[in-house]
Amino acid sequence: MTAEPAGVMTEPKKQLKKRSRKAEIVKPAPQGLRVPKAVRRLQRNAPAYAMQGLVELSTRLREATGHEIIDLNRVMGFVQFAYQQRELAQRGTAYSVDDFGFDPQWTESFLSVFKVLYRDYWRVETTGIENVPAAGRALLVANHAGVLPWDGTMIKTAMFVEHPHPRHVRALVASLFMGMPILSWFLRRTGQTVGHPDDTRRLLERDELVLVFPEGVRGTGKPFKDRYRLRRFGRGGFVSTAIRAGAPIIPVSVVGSEEIYPMIADLAPVARALGMPYMPVTPFWPWLGPLGLLPLPSKWRIQFHEPIHVETYPPDAADDRNLVMALADEVRETIQKGVYENLKRRRSVFT
Amino acid sequence: MTGVSNPLGAEVARRLAPQVRFLFGCDVADPVSALEDMDFVHADTRHAAIAKLIRQLRIDTVVHMALTVDSAQDGRASHETNVIGTMNLLTGCTGPGSRVERVVVKSSQAIYDASPTDPSFFSEDMVGPEREGPSATRDLREVEQFVGEFALRNPHCDVTTLRLGYRVTEETTLAKYLSLPIVPTFAGFDPRLQLLHEEDAAEAIVRSVLGEHPGVFNVAGSGVVLVSQAIAIMGGRPAPVLFPYGRWMARIGLRALTGIFLPGHLADVLAFGSVADCTRLAAEFGWSPAYSTRAVMDGFARGKAAEVIEAPSPPQEYELQVFLQRRRRQELRGHQPGSTSLVTRR
Repeated sequence: MTAEPAGVMTEPKKQLKKRSRKAEIVKPAPQGLRVPKAVRRLQRNAPAYAMQGLVELSTRLREATGHEIIDLNRVMGFVQFAYQQRELAQRGTAYSVDDFGFDPQWTESFLSVFKVLYRDYWRVETTGIENVPAAGRALLVANHAGVLPWDGTMIKTAMFVEHPHPRHVRALVASLFMGMPILSWFLRRTGQTVGHPDDTRRLLERDELVLVFPEGVRGTGKPFKDRYRLRRFGRGGFVSTAIRAGAPIIPVSVVGSEEIYPMIADLAPVARALGMPYMPVTPFWPWLGPLGLLPLPSKWRIQFHEPIHVETYPPDAADDRNLVMALADEVRETIQKGVYENLKRRRSVFT
Repeated sequence: MTGVSNPLGAEVARRLAPQVRFLFGCDVADPVSALEDMDFVHADTRHAAIAKLIRQLRIDTVVHMALTVDSAQDGRASHETNVIGTMNLLTGCTGPGSRVERVVVKSSQAIYDASPTDPSFFSEDMVGPEREGPSATRDLREVEQFVGEFALRNPHCDVTTLRLGYRVTEETTLAKYLSLPIVPTFAGFDPRLQLLHEEDAAEAIVRSVLGEHPGVFNVAGSGVVLVSQAIAIMGGRPAPVLFPYGRWMARIGLRALTGIFLPGHLADVLAFGSVADCTRLAAEFGWSPAYSTRAVMDGFARGKAAEVIEAPSPPQEYELQVFLQRRRRQELRGHQPGSTSLVTRR
């Protein structure tokens, strides 16, 4: 306001005139039709009224039928999701991602939706969660099945639902997906990184919980008839990395992801043309279009096994091929056995 | 010192001049600002004259900054400058009569060429095969190969190669791209971006000239920002419209839309992101860049915003200032402040 009063006044008259021409009367923008105050108040309070109505309806239905027809806990999950999205939109640029591009707050906003999938859709039963340490590094090794990597999502959710000290699980994905639009962005932002030994080492050195699927895309793309058989475990690279980083290996068996998309055929030429590892044909895909992407509501069981303490080996044991392959086989056997055991505990595919 | 006329070269020369006995700069273009302590000559690194200069002036430290990485000029011209220029300069440094004991080469993070199969962090030994990648990347790989051979053949000579991270200043293509009001981005990609402050870049070069740090080092700010975040910090809006496959098409499209021509390696970075691991720098130099990536981005955005404030103020403010000045003058003349109001005048 007090900027150079003299300067303005000593300006030549012509210039002053030129500048003052800019001073037009600024009219306030026309406001359009303004709704009455009562309506505006109603608009503002609509969410609260809706919740009240829903609570009322839920109570009435419970009294009338004796069953919980509308479970308010579930509804609150979605309300929470909506509010979290609004909060995320409001933070503008005031957030930071870690060096891998992981945005924890953004990731946690999806948890309320994943929790509904976890509890109500796939009714996941998790055992052995106490084998996962509350702090410090560890390498989770899991079997991989189902066409889309929902098993990874559910292992991440299990850590948040079941574990007394929720932690983010950082999964390693095939570099192939990092080159795909949307996926590359979504996976990085939710904490995944490229399945490269260097990345694994860095994550473990930061005392993170790292999830690896040694079967890779050969696992997710396996045909339906082989659904419970584990594929080859690569060259056991994950064992070497774990030994070098001094991290225990925790085998994880997942049952149920095998049935979410029963893959009856693989259109390999189409997949090759699109640059994808496989092009599944299921009873619903691609016949029903996007509806075919809906996973089937199979019954899931996740088991975290006893940790294999490879950190007791000296770091140069990582170059011992015999030891590494033996340990990789041990992990594979544990997971395979876990899959068969959990299959026995499950009454049928859907219950 | 070669390439003193580019802004970074000028900054390095300004910092270096008071600390060395004698500074001799050369470039093909005129320097941006005059520097008293420096002798300047128009010399092209591609000419044999450079070898003669090094011998005659009995130069003991060569700072090679005449490398173009981020430029709109075609690949052939920058190949001439980068590869032939470096080769000629290094030849001049060898042979009898040369007293060169230290060579510092400014390289770039563009040498890694981002791709989805790469790990999340590039350390110094992760350079891909020489004959692959965009033109600038290929050139840099060839240049560093020459530099490596030179270091092997001249063990008495310390050779430092600094791979500088991407910088945002007024001149860089990346900065021009991020400052667009609506920024066309690659559809479905939001990679990490790592930046280096101009001051840190100059500081790293000065430190490697004055200290003895042979080897290859990544130099880049700590932390990352997402490309969408960087655009939002600059006050723009991302528009995911560029087709991510066959990036040369996107580059031509972007040039048609905005007049900005992304070099091939920068297009790859904006699709997949390139982050360098600077632990070796911190261990060897005992120094890390002072500005984090976020600070670089915020600082650049603030510089841009300051420009906006300097632009003509809105008319109301001008009128208000004139009113206040008139009032103050009336007060000085002895008017009572209340007497100027309409009521008393009536």
